[in-house]
Amino acid sequence: MGAAAMTNHVVRLYAFAGAVLVLFLTWATIAARPWASHASTKADPRWTALAAREQRLRHDSLVVQRVVARRWRVYRVQLAARQRAISAAVKQHQQQLAAARAAAAATTSVSSSGYSAPSSSGYSAAPSVRVVTLPPVTITRTS
Amino acid sequence: MIQRRSFRAMGTDVELFLAAAPGPAADQALAAAEAEFERVEALLSRFRDDSELSELNREGRIEAGDDLLTVVELALEARERTGGRFDPTVHDALVAAGYDRTFEEVAPDGAATAVAAPCGGRVRVTGRTIELEPGTHLDLGGIGKGYTVDRAGAILSAAGPALVDAGGDIAALGRPDALGWRVGVEHLTLALENAAVATSGRDRRRWRRDGEERHHLIDPATGRPAASDLLRVSVVADTAAEAEVLAKSLFLAGEREALAADVPAVLVAEDGRVAVAGGLA
Repeated sequence: MGAAAMTNHVVRLYAFAGAVLVLFLTWATIAARPWASHASTKADPRWTALAAREQRLRHDSLVVQRVVARRWRVYRVQLAARQRAISAAVKQHQQQLAAARAAAAATTSVSSSGYSAPSSSGYSAAPSVRVVTLPPVTITRTS
Repeated sequence: MIQRRSFRAMGTDVELFLAAAPGPAADQALAAAEAEFERVEALLSRFRDDSELSELNREGRIEAGDDLLTVVELALEARERTGGRFDPTVHDALVAAGYDRTFEEVAPDGAATAVAAPCGGRVRVTGRTIELEPGTHLDLGGIGKGYTVDRAGAILSAAGPALVDAGGDIAALGRPDALGWRVGVEHLTLALENAAVATSGRDRRRWRRDGEERHHLIDPATGRPAASDLLRVSVVADTAAEAEVLAKSLFLAGEREALAADVPAVLVAEDGRVAVAGGLA
């Protein structure tokens, strides 16, 4: 009687453990969604296209960045050379102007009234003028 | 001692300054300079029917006197040199814009009566004969006043250092003191000796037609009042006539080109900025 009761008790224990195991396995099986695995592997073609496009754009971006960097380096070098050339030209032009003005000042004939005849030298006209800080006798205004 | 005389001529206020002792010689020089304004205006004004210029514009051909001949040749040379930015053939464009009578008589507002007129007509000078292409008329306002200022200055400076100021066209001859004649140009004071200043801009001599603002500085390329990004330009040159030509040319050229030109100039932009060019800083 006592042995039979003990046996029943052990059997129930095994049965309970088995039931827990079955429950766990069932839960794990359901959680794994084996019925969905096949569907998920069949990716949406739009996602695939987007991913491919992303890859391609990343690649293109890298290529463009390299091209821009290379052109920027070339431009910086050319700009520096151009600036040096402009500075040299401006300096030379100023020296020529100074020489021309000195020559003109040495050769210009001034009448007894001190009046210079109208010049036809155009934009290169360079009259004698200084900036001072004293008050003016008169002012120029739009005529 | 500075002797002064003021009067009106060529539609503007004229002031003569002569550094000389008071006396008959100074008075005579001042009177002669004033008379020179009246004489040249009588020859070159387009508003006087009996002027030599009006006769040329009417007849299309004239045996010109010394002054008209000189001014027309100066103007044609300036047209050539400035690539057409300065052009004496803007007469019809000025009339079309509404400047068809002395500025005091121009109505400040009203309806437009004409469209833009073309510029650039042919002007032939052969000996003393000036001949205009049919349909071409001259306005010498852009250089005539400077020419007169130079002439009056030459007369006045025979009596001593002199300054002639005709509404902003200034010739400074000789030196009244160690520095020279001091002339205010915007924020600067320039000490000038045997030099001239002229200012051109659209802040004066302007009016409205059909609600649109117009001014007297015609762009010969369009035949309309110039649309410059500058408000006014003051230029220093050897003579007032030359300064007038350069001031108008630089005004039409605009700020960028005016700054790059090797001309002593003070530029005032539309927004009021003042820039100095040509070594005046």
